[in-house]
Amino acid sequence: MSEAALDSGTQAAIDIDQSRGDFSYPESHKYDAGCGLSPATIDYICDVKEDPDWVREFRHRALETFLAKPMPTLWATKDLENIDFDIIRYYLSDGTKPTRSWDEVPDDIKETFERLGIPEQERAFLAGVEAQYDSEAAYSNVKEELEKDGVIFVNSTEGLKDYEEIFRPWFGKVIPTGDNKFSALNSAVFSGGSFIYVPKGVKVRHPLQAYFRINSENFGQFERTLIICDEGSELTYLEGCTAPKFETSTLHSAVVELVALKDAKLQYITVQNWSANVFNLVTKRGIAHENAEVRWIDCNIGSRLTMKYPGVVMKGRKARGEVISIALANTGQHQDTGAKMIHAADETTSNVVSKSISVGEGRSTYRGQVHIPKHLKGCRNNTECDALLINTGSRTDTYPAITVRGNQHSTQHEASVSQVSEEMLFYLQQRGLSEGEAMSLAVNGFVNDLVREFPMEYSVELKRLIELEMEGSVG
Amino acid sequence: MSLVITNLHTSIDGNDILKGLSLEVPPGEVHAIMGPNGSGKSTLAKVVAGHEDYEVTGGSVTMDGQNLLDLEIDERSRAGLFLAFQYPMEVPGVTMANFIRAARQARLPEGEEIDAVAYYKELYEKMDQLGIDRRFTSRSVNEGFSGGEKKRNEVLQMMMLEPSYCVMDETDSGLDIDALKVVAGGVNSMRSPERGFLVITHYQRLLDYIEPDHVHVLADGQIVRSGSKELALELEKKGYDFLKEETPVAS
Amino acid sequence: MTATLDRGNVLEREPGPLDGVPDWFNASRQAGWARFQELPMPSRRDEEWRFANLRHLDFEGAQLPDPQSMGEHRGASGLEKRAARIGFFNDEMNEQELNLPEGVICLPLRLALEEHSDLVQEYFMKSEYPLGSAKFAALHQAHVSSGMFIYVPDGVVVEDPIEIFHWLAGDHVITFPHSLIVTGRNARVTVVDYFQSDTSARNAWAIAVNDLVAGPGSQLTYLALQDLCDQARMIQVGNTTVARDATSKSFILNAGAAWARQESRSCLEGENAHSDMLSVSIARDEQEYDQRTFQHHASARSYSDLLYKNTLYDGSRTVFSGLIMVDDGAHQTDAYQTCRNLLMSEAAEASSMPGLEIKADQVKCSHGSTSTMIDEGEIFYLRARGVKPHIARQLVAQGFSVESISRLKNKALEDLVLSFAAREFHRISERVGTR
Repeated sequence: MSEAALDSGTQAAIDIDQSRGDFSYPESHKYDAGCGLSPATIDYICDVKEDPDWVREFRHRALETFLAKPMPTLWATKDLENIDFDIIRYYLSDGTKPTRSWDEVPDDIKETFERLGIPEQERAFLAGVEAQYDSEAAYSNVKEELEKDGVIFVNSTEGLKDYEEIFRPWFGKVIPTGDNKFSALNSAVFSGGSFIYVPKGVKVRHPLQAYFRINSENFGQFERTLIICDEGSELTYLEGCTAPKFETSTLHSAVVELVALKDAKLQYITVQNWSANVFNLVTKRGIAHENAEVRWIDCNIGSRLTMKYPGVVMKGRKARGEVISIALANTGQHQDTGAKMIHAADETTSNVVSKSISVGEGRSTYRGQVHIPKHLKGCRNNTECDALLINTGSRTDTYPAITVRGNQHSTQHEASVSQVSEEMLFYLQQRGLSEGEAMSLAVNGFVNDLVREFPMEYSVELKRLIELEMEGSVG
Repeated sequence: MSLVITNLHTSIDGNDILKGLSLEVPPGEVHAIMGPNGSGKSTLAKVVAGHEDYEVTGGSVTMDGQNLLDLEIDERSRAGLFLAFQYPMEVPGVTMANFIRAARQARLPEGEEIDAVAYYKELYEKMDQLGIDRRFTSRSVNEGFSGGEKKRNEVLQMMMLEPSYCVMDETDSGLDIDALKVVAGGVNSMRSPERGFLVITHYQRLLDYIEPDHVHVLADGQIVRSGSKELALELEKKGYDFLKEETPVAS
Repeated sequence: MTATLDRGNVLEREPGPLDGVPDWFNASRQAGWARFQELPMPSRRDEEWRFANLRHLDFEGAQLPDPQSMGEHRGASGLEKRAARIGFFNDEMNEQELNLPEGVICLPLRLALEEHSDLVQEYFMKSEYPLGSAKFAALHQAHVSSGMFIYVPDGVVVEDPIEIFHWLAGDHVITFPHSLIVTGRNARVTVVDYFQSDTSARNAWAIAVNDLVAGPGSQLTYLALQDLCDQARMIQVGNTTVARDATSKSFILNAGAAWARQESRSCLEGENAHSDMLSVSIARDEQEYDQRTFQHHASARSYSDLLYKNTLYDGSRTVFSGLIMVDDGAHQTDAYQTCRNLLMSEAAEASSMPGLEIKADQVKCSHGSTSTMIDEGEIFYLRARGVKPHIARQLVAQGFSVESISRLKNKALEDLVLSFAAREFHRISERVGTR
């Protein structure tokens, strides 16, 4: 296992504008809410962030919900009980206003990028960069053409203050505070994250990108992202995460809400490679109105425990929802991912394709929910989930739930578990590849059709990242 | 007394397919319809049988004076119309024997039961005639059948149901020459002064074995030419392109 | 003994010890009662009861049958060729016809306890019931006094099936049918349990346990044909253990009852163990069938295959939850699981939860679940042959079930199940046809 690979992300080098600045690495938190969670913590966050009253009330109500809700250990892993909410810092900011440029990247991360061989010109793909250092956005760069088109791309703090009339009607509507314990936690203490509004008919040609990172020990990150695509608009959003390794567990609990109005197309792409001590408990859901499309494309590598089930509520006729996901779980890691497809209008279609790889003693779990309620017509769901087990101690679980009401729908669910065949390895080795290389090749073959769904610059890195993860897994 | 199609107009999903087709098949005659892909041949077969995807926007279809368009799919069948499918459906879990038996049962008056012994005797005789292995009776309808087996099965059903008019939709497609001879033999054995045939085909080859009394050429939803069996040979030689100079026969 | 004695609500009163049974059995009854008391009623929050309609767990007024009111069972005529035929009327044996090879034990539980106490004790309710109804299995354990013990010794082959008829009758009656079937090395047996009732069985219950122990190299086939009246309810929990080189095949048919829940676990404990789990459910009106399955591969090189097919009419509901678990070290396992739902009405609802938990490698596992409507192309084809629409739908729906039935690979058993299914489909079809 390569430590460097574990501890680094997929795309830091991609989006760095190398212009000079004096961005220094950690340790000058001007605002720090301290450890633990209480109404006082909430008030502290509100005061520092100068939240409007409605946000303060929202946060306090959410805290009550969070405290009242039990841990979902009835169905989820007991490992959740190891999260000590009292030693987590819920708010931390360097207090600076968002800046316009990047400077340094830590050496170990640079080294990983070197190994990954990420070419500089990949930066050209990027239309705008929203970066987050700890809780507050530390970097923000939106291309002029976006502004010209009226696209709003700011952090969520600015969004709720400066664009309340657009922000507030949708905020917390796709994912209600009480959806689950962690969405409630996020609602209480959120800071950072993006707010994007794409006006009617605007098709954003290049993907927008945010860059998140955790780099303070025991520090939870609670981004809140809200993206609204107005009628007929189109947007692709990229999100990637890296985290250096620390000794105690770190909690990351984001909430992402997507709204695709009539005829809009919204695609949200995530590549995450958390360090192996992170609890990554994320709630992501989109609403697709008439003839709109919401796609989640998700790659989960790393973390101690990831729980993430992107969902689409297909609210308008002919709306479409899709989740495409790749998960790789190595020793000490549990990727508990899946998809939720809620059909709420006629002729809605959803598609879920999930592939997971368990390496060493890693564990991957798929949980799915497909719901087609009564009195709808012509709804379709297709779900495929395939798991690949690499080593004897690898583990995989699949728990879908599909409810169909009525005789005018069709659903299809297929899942399989397999291994890299010994014959294939033998064949590749006979052609001169080492066992490890042969295994990497086979694993890349397994996810190849999904990797193609990612933008090119991501897919190249994904493949290399998988290779790094596979190092030492055989022999 | 005939199968009479008059000025038939049909559309599917708003697209017009048949545009005023007229045709009369009297009992005792075999009429062949030839035409290029997309001319509306299979549409004609499905519309006459009553497929619900097609909308009849004008014209009429009568069988021995009875308005077929007023009847449901199964009522048309019981009235004496048989469609041999181009692509016979697979019906999982329903055996051949039970399938044909259900079709025969449907033709009996309420309360009357099929004589099982006589039924099987007849079924086996006809299977033997068509060279169908008797074990097929317990296989699911068309499931796992080869192309030739499916077409033989269509002819078997035709023989068992003894219709007044048979519409055969590209029965020759997917058949090798031996299978074609067997299928044609079955059809020929059913030719009689009381029964009319409408044989739809893309190729002249089938008509070497099932000799037609009349040949019609269908193009763009209309009969553009009618003639004797020599017309089929002419088409075979010249291809369908020469039709482009033809003007539709007024109807 | 009077009719009213000790018959009051069975959920509230501890059953007393039975006369003439070994001490261990009375102790087991006591332990069952204690466990029943201790376990909570299922709640909506239990994963094992997800999508379940808990409204049906209403035992209000449930009482043991009146032993004085013996009657005839008037169920299915059954098979022409059989090795034995045993009938129970509300758990009291009222018919017995045996034609078994020497050495085969086929006795009502009470007699088996007298004559083969140690043997029964070795197998009696030894396994866990982990799929949600442990509480009801405990209630069964506390009350059971009837049912069959079948033991086929090493090398003995029972060619024809053993048929057991369970007839349920009377308002609010609760019965505890029990089938314990053990096959020795290389033995072979087929057992058919019929669960039927007349319409007097309003709010009546059958809480059944069927435990199957397939010894090394043996073949054990078990069928449960459930055709209770529309007001009765049933819980059936079953454990099957399959030893090395053994083959077990189980089939469940649901055609009756207001609500039936079946929990079936098959545990593959030896190499080359093979388990087929099959089911056909035909749900109509407000009927609900709730099936939970567990294919547990404890041994390497074992094989299991599950195929459940549900056809849903009217406002009926089905729930399927299946789990394949491959233990650490159970390598080179093949495990398959398929649930297919055919929805015949707008108000019908099917839920599927096909699950996998794999902790070994070199395994081939897959599951699939589909919910579909009837194929209109097939209907068109049948109608084009003159078959009336309701008959066409009946044939296609029945044909949908055949895939599972045909895996019994035994003509007599297939015909038996088909006759039940065909009758049910016909009944539904005629009802729809006359509308």
